[in-house]
Amino acid sequence: MLEVKHLSTSFFTDDGEVKAVRDVTFDLFPGETLGIVGESGCGKSVTAMSVLGLVQRPGKIVGGQILFKDRDLTKLNSEELRQIRGRDIAMIFQDPLSSLNPVLRVGFQIDEAMFAHDKIAKEDVPERGVNLLKQVRVPDAQRRVKDYPHQFSGGMRQRAMIAMGLSNRPELLIADEPTTALDVTVQAQILELLRDLNQEMGTSIILITHNLGVVAGLCKRVVVMYAGEIVEEGPVEQIFESPQHPYTWSLLRSLPRVDEKRHERLKSIEGLPPDLIAPPPGCKFNPRCPFRIEKCFSEDPPLEMVGTAQQAKCWVTMKRAYAEMNAATITDTRPGAASGVRPPAELLQVVADLRTLEEPEVLETLAENPQLLEQMVSEEPAALEQLVADHPAVAEKLVTEETAAAVDGAAEDEKSE
Amino acid sequence: MSSATLPASTPQAAPAGEPLLRVVDVKKHFNVGVAATVKAVDGVSFEVREGETLGLVGESGCGKSTLGRLVTQLIPVTSGEVVFNGVDLTKLRGERLRQQRKQLQIIFQDPYASLDPRMTIGDIIAEPLMNFGLLRGRQKDAKVQELLKVVGLNPYFNNRYPHEFSGGQRQRIGIARALALNPKLIVCDEPVSALDVSIQAQIINLLEDLQKEFHLTYIFIAHDLSVVRHISERVMVMYLGKVVEVSPSEELYLSQEHPYTKALLSAIPVPDPRIESQRRLIELQGEIPSPINPPSGCRFHTRCPIARAPGICADQEPPLEEKAPGRWAACHFSDEVRTKV
Repeated sequence: MLEVKHLSTSFFTDDGEVKAVRDVTFDLFPGETLGIVGESGCGKSVTAMSVLGLVQRPGKIVGGQILFKDRDLTKLNSEELRQIRGRDIAMIFQDPLSSLNPVLRVGFQIDEAMFAHDKIAKEDVPERGVNLLKQVRVPDAQRRVKDYPHQFSGGMRQRAMIAMGLSNRPELLIADEPTTALDVTVQAQILELLRDLNQEMGTSIILITHNLGVVAGLCKRVVVMYAGEIVEEGPVEQIFESPQHPYTWSLLRSLPRVDEKRHERLKSIEGLPPDLIAPPPGCKFNPRCPFRIEKCFSEDPPLEMVGTAQQAKCWVTMKRAYAEMNAATITDTRPGAASGVRPPAELLQVVADLRTLEEPEVLETLAENPQLLEQMVSEEPAALEQLVADHPAVAEKLVTEETAAAVDGAAEDEKSE
Repeated sequence: MSSATLPASTPQAAPAGEPLLRVVDVKKHFNVGVAATVKAVDGVSFEVREGETLGLVGESGCGKSTLGRLVTQLIPVTSGEVVFNGVDLTKLRGERLRQQRKQLQIIFQDPYASLDPRMTIGDIIAEPLMNFGLLRGRQKDAKVQELLKVVGLNPYFNNRYPHEFSGGQRQRIGIARALALNPKLIVCDEPVSALDVSIQAQIINLLEDLQKEFHLTYIFIAHDLSVVRHISERVMVMYLGKVVEVSPSEELYLSQEHPYTKALLSAIPVPDPRIESQRRLIELQGEIPSPINPPSGCRFHTRCPIARAPGICADQEPPLEEKAPGRWAACHFSDEVRTKV
């Protein structure tokens, strides 16, 4: 039903091109529930926004196709897209309060979505509005349609958003973190509702979330994203049972679980996600991966089949990590710890060179290579410490000029106010 | 020493011995509008032993954050006592309260809002030291660098500004600031809920390491029950300003004495599709009632699957009682929770 092929979306900022989504390919079948998981900034929301043509300047779809029922959505003009949005594809957002207009009655806002398209006969709209609220289990719907959003609780607002999304009987519902702002008990109710919609009305759902538990409960298939790319994809049981990408594996192991047997130390993922303006060469996960090999620093792995219907973007894969690197028993999760692979030789060389230089030259090298300090923090903290001990001015330079400018700017803003 | 006798329904910190913190029948009522009060915390008693981690869970609006702020005396109590180290903090004012505060610190939820964007992180961490005039000059700088190291940040980042750091790093800065005065008790108010999954584990591990190293006592407030279970020895569940259950965390997750706890636990999604497909959700009726006008009797009776209403549940407030060793619950029919909910 939906085919996303080699989609790339970038944001053109003053600091450079932020490649938020890179070469993302997946498809969705009618009636399917697909989960897209990843951390903030991994590109999962931007992917959804791209599908709906909602990416705004400075963002832009820079490549690829989005085929919805054999029409390429990237080629449509804004009016044609408007026809599809809310009618065939609907979206619900994370924060139901800021997505509803506070000065309009909830009922009106639901009806408005139906009037905007001609799928529902005009005379049926008011009654359908009430029925929709009933369907999403808002109690006393007849009276509640006349309420304003502030009179609804968080869970009810999200239900109203879902009612609005469903009003034109869309074939695809994209839910972007629909339960993140809600309490667990309310979250469970909303998920139950989405599950029923999928089973009873056959609505396909793309669920975007960072919560792996939510995906496990609702989705049949899952796409895992990291730094703008799909790193793993497959049926939900397979991904949770035998993840093949070290990122998916680490993510699952880093969660405290209510059903865990005994209290043990969490296996955290060290480091931070990469800067999307200048991501590391090779695999984007290499600065944090305990299983990395030399090849990971230089060559970007392709997304390859690693089992029936399961794909992973990794040179090593967990199969090999278990067989050769004792993945089952590792407790040290630092980068390269399991494979024993040190950071790339070039980095070590630069660091070694730095120590022989005089202070002004050190500062110059650091200014030329803004990534270097961050790399040293994660890979060579001891060397960095030594460097700062030798050259106190380096510590001073840790405050970038950019910071100083931003602080001055803030001071001026305040003055002008 | 406090003169008040402990109400019978105070979950004691086991094993015996003088607890570090004892909260006695604490209430906090906020006046809203004319003749309306929000009973955010309404008669809560508990004890925390030195070196323990007490988890505090409940849905938004149950009063857990308010309780955290009452314990640290960031807001004054309406009534009740907060006895810390044998001293009733609610009776102290001015300088004497300020001196006690050294021992009580808090880590906030939002690492973006809790750091002043105009101060360098060195100044942020040094601020508590300056406030108490403890260290100056070189010594102060050395202490700041040591604290940065302790929380896993590069010590030479002390003259950077908060915006240069990610959420997880900012939370580390918040933790370093809380540690600056060598406190005994730290209230962690949702310290990981604003963070990404992979960063959450780093911060939880850090908090656990620090607890061992500095013999800290934590009150850990969170709405994520799996995180609370992981870090806490005992868990206290709140509903509408009242404690409904207190139990050792391992036991609480195996069986529950209060229907609300059971419903809350049944709602947590587990990252395992096989378990998820067999999960039985106990769906609660309706929404949390307003704390301005809470239900009579047991506050949970309007949503409780086993309540006798009309009947004892609507008429009488159940006391918090020890149902089994170390396990406290406020429910008239706790025997039925296991079989009928």
